[in-house]
Amino acid sequence: MKTPREILLVQHRAAGPKLDAIRQSVMNKLNNQETKEQSVPSVFVTSLLSCLKTGWQELFFPTRRLWTGMAAIWIFILMINFAQRDEVNSVTGQTVRSSGPVMSLQAQQRWMNELFADRTRPPEADRPRNFSPKPRTQAVESTVV
Amino acid sequence: MPEVAAPEQLPVPQARAGDPAAWDALFRRYQLPLYVYVFELVRHEQTSLDLVQETFIAAVKHLGGLREDRKFGSWLFGIAHQKCLQHWRKRTEVLCNEVPEPPDEFEDSPDDLLIRREQEQEFMNLIDQLPLPQRSVLLLHFIEDFSLEEISRITETQLGTVKSRLHFAKRSLRKLLEAKNENPA
Repeated sequence: MKTPREILLVQHRAAGPKLDAIRQSVMNKLNNQETKEQSVPSVFVTSLLSCLKTGWQELFFPTRRLWTGMAAIWIFILMINFAQRDEVNSVTGQTVRSSGPVMSLQAQQRWMNELFADRTRPPEADRPRNFSPKPRTQAVESTVV
Repeated sequence: MPEVAAPEQLPVPQARAGDPAAWDALFRRYQLPLYVYVFELVRHEQTSLDLVQETFIAAVKHLGGLREDRKFGSWLFGIAHQKCLQHWRKRTEVLCNEVPEPPDEFEDSPDDLLIRREQEQEFMNLIDQLPLPQRSVLLLHFIEDFSLEEISRITETQLGTVKSRLHFAKRSLRKLLEAKNENPA
């Protein structure tokens, strides 16, 4: 005696090899898809590495002493640059600290400017007066007095 | 006889992670039951093989849509069922909907029907004689012992309808077998 499941599966067992082939084809598609997905970054990394290797072999390695010397010179220049920057900072610190006399000089200069500005103004007599006409009677009175 | 792995043992999480070996194991596990189901519905070898292949490809493509790993089997059969429906639509053959009457009592085990060796071919012929909706439900019940809820999901029919179809399919199958036993000619 067999169950219906057993009978059904045994009846179609002959399709096994064909189903295996189908499974294989689907698996191949799946693997190809995965390799395609992986291939884009891997190709990029590989090309980048090959470029770096070529650059190392053709640009740097034959003239490595020259490059090293250049690098040393640059490091020396940078060190001097940093050292000078420190000096400038110290100098500016001093100027900030001695800002008291400078401020007084500036104040003096401002006072002088104001003074000269007053001198350049016209005298009181030369200034134009605002003339407002008055009634004639008042004008006569003022002349009599 | 291929062994039925427990759903917990199926490497669905690994397949989700894109492990080809996991996919291979899953396909190996389901290829024959799936083929049996599809073949018994469409009755054409090459079409059945094509539909199984399409089902596998769709499974790889849409595994993200599967919410519970333990339902992988019913989900896969659901895809196969949809593929069969698409095939029938192309051929303008439609699964007719008979009016179901849910039975009062229901035999839930697929093994309650045991067939003698000499009846095996008869059994296959009798299954072919069943109407398509009943055949579909009966095959899902026999092949993978899916629950009524799972069959309902696979065939996208109401639970009562599934229950009714399975009941009538089993009853008619039993009747046919008994009739053959009484008249063995």
